[in-house]
Amino acid sequence: MISLRVLIPLMVLLSTAVPGAAMATNYTLWIKGRGPAGASGNYNDFTYWGPAATAAGVNKKAVNWDGYSSISSQSGKIRDALDCFCTGSNWCYVATHDAGDLILGYTLANYGGSARIKKNAVANATGQCGNSDGGTQTGWNIKWVRAASGAAGGSELSDYGVWSNVEPLVKDLKTTTARALYDHNKTFGVLFYMYAAAKSTFNDAKLPGRDDDVVAYHSSGGVAGTTGTALGNPTDFFANDLTLGTAANEGGSVKWSGHSVSFRDDAAAYSHAPLGAWAGIVAVVRAAMEAYAK
Amino acid sequence: MQNSRYRGVAGVVLVALVAVGGSYLQIGERPTAPEAVVEAGAGNVLPRPPEAGDRPAPPAVQDPPGPPAASPAEARRWALAKRLAMAEELLCSFQDASKYPFTSRPIHEHPDQVYPNRPIAERRAMRTREGPRDADIRIHTTQSRVFIAAGEPVVLSIAAMDRGGERLPIEVERATARGLSAQPDRVTPQVALRMADDGRSGDAVAGDRTVSGAWTPAETDLADFAGTIRAEIEYKVEGRAGVAWLDVVYSPEVPATWSAPIREAIEGGSLVFLLKAKVRAPGRYLVSGRVDDARGRPMAMLMFNDLLGAGDQEIRLSLHGKLIRDLEPSFPLKLRDVDAYLLRDDADADRALMPRIEGEAHTTRVYTLSKFSPDEWQSEQRSRYLTEFTRDVEQTRAELAELDPGQPSISFTPDQCRGFNANISSPQA
Repeated sequence: MISLRVLIPLMVLLSTAVPGAAMATNYTLWIKGRGPAGASGNYNDFTYWGPAATAAGVNKKAVNWDGYSSISSQSGKIRDALDCFCTGSNWCYVATHDAGDLILGYTLANYGGSARIKKNAVANATGQCGNSDGGTQTGWNIKWVRAASGAAGGSELSDYGVWSNVEPLVKDLKTTTARALYDHNKTFGVLFYMYAAAKSTFNDAKLPGRDDDVVAYHSSGGVAGTTGTALGNPTDFFANDLTLGTAANEGGSVKWSGHSVSFRDDAAAYSHAPLGAWAGIVAVVRAAMEAYAK
Repeated sequence: MQNSRYRGVAGVVLVALVAVGGSYLQIGERPTAPEAVVEAGAGNVLPRPPEAGDRPAPPAVQDPPGPPAASPAEARRWALAKRLAMAEELLCSFQDASKYPFTSRPIHEHPDQVYPNRPIAERRAMRTREGPRDADIRIHTTQSRVFIAAGEPVVLSIAAMDRGGERLPIEVERATARGLSAQPDRVTPQVALRMADDGRSGDAVAGDRTVSGAWTPAETDLADFAGTIRAEIEYKVEGRAGVAWLDVVYSPEVPATWSAPIREAIEGGSLVFLLKAKVRAPGRYLVSGRVDDARGRPMAMLMFNDLLGAGDQEIRLSLHGKLIRDLEPSFPLKLRDVDAYLLRDDADADRALMPRIEGEAHTTRVYTLSKFSPDEWQSEQRSRYLTEFTRDVEQTRAELAELDPGQPSISFTPDQCRGFNANISSPQA
């Protein structure tokens, strides 16, 4: 076996010598959550997030889906975007909001080890790109993910019937269903940095522990389990603390593998929705994307 | 360490960021109401003790960063040092995470997948049909599973408690199930569910104030329905009426069946479980199984995800050699709780379940550890990521060096990952 001490410098050397490597491009993908804003397949439509001119990471692309249908039926839109911009010599930074976390997690867990055709990052009207060299690779090129108020663990607003169950996405967001939908620990080594918001005004009694009126800390903090659990800030007397990083939370609950809490809203200052203005917890993630997605 | 100066900068950044994070801590925030508590299905979750094969913990950093910069140059140095710390974290984390295949993992990395057949339990404040909640009464519900294969039953239960944890009498007045169609205008059948506290048909103990019922969709008008089925339980506690909803996802189709006893083989220094299947519906199949050692200690999660054609097929669940060497299990090992389904791209419902293998599926022979390879997993995917992450470290380090030409140029090595992992687990880092 060749030791990694030899292998890694060798790989760096080889990669710089390969023709075309200089054309490698980094992209920043913004995967939206629940709601109609943003035209599916239009990677320049940032309506869901805010003004398109706002800095939000290198070569930013809006990954829109209908925000209404089931996660499984819309996963193809995410696969299209990942195929377009995150294959071949191109790499991606990914930001998600709300159910964008759930649909990305589902897509990664189910297709992150599958053969992907390398694409040329030139999309047609439906969001699909042409092939580059005709080759394939295993999985996508994703450097990391930052999830603003991630709903991969579901929302009790679905459990309590606050949202209409006529909407297919709502049934997927039931906490027990969202957590059984796929193995959330299966990220293929990609780190999910979680940003948990806690500005809550009207749904506090329905959501356990700290929440942002839509998603509770057990989901936005990437906490494992078949159902949600109550977690709060260090100053909360009645709830165990959501810890920063990957460490187990106070009380012993643990996070999904590959999930690390980067931001916990100790001042309860950040709300859930971006409001078409890069607002709320999305503002925190946008700042991080601008700083680190280069 | 050669790069101690830059590492020192990165370390100072981390400490300062934690300190900045402290500015977000507020005293006197409103407490979380106890009635809002929902209990996790703790029985399904394995606590994660540190052990061989564990991944390093990335540093806990509260965003957004706020550098106390005195000048633009210092601000740039701060930002680059933070990016360098992140780049090193990504490289080291991925290097460690990929030393075993992504299909053969230590089971503590899948804490909520260890016991997939234990009931899912929830506890909530009582909810009335009109919407308001009664925080004085807690409703405990369980469902035996979420995804149901053709012919499988699901057991549902409901109980009530007061604030002190005392069981309260509960009467189920009406329990029904109906399909939630992907087409909103499509009417699906509604069927009655039998729920009682009589020690029969899924109720474990008569008269224990837990009302339960076993229900098999295949035996009802929902036999052909594929997708989410909602059970609605209307109940009464202390004269007050409430409602609970439990969702299951039913798959009436059997896409493939197991066709022969499981075999084992040592291949390429790994222990491989060979599962024969007769595939009726070709497509992408996802299969998972758990491995316990001879003492019953859960040790590994094995996964398969690939395309299968119609006809006789062999599904391979591989227990990686290095994982065996690192965990040093006592033999024989036991493969148990095998789940499998056909995943349909972009469909709602998205899966058709194979018959579940619940409990022990196969017991291995006894092996010595020397039979297994100590080598780390290698693949094009792993090399691609390590190459890119190494390049990110080098480029960021070069940018930082431009600000301080006196710093010698150096390369990042795997040995430095070990040092990095030791540093980030230290409070002095």
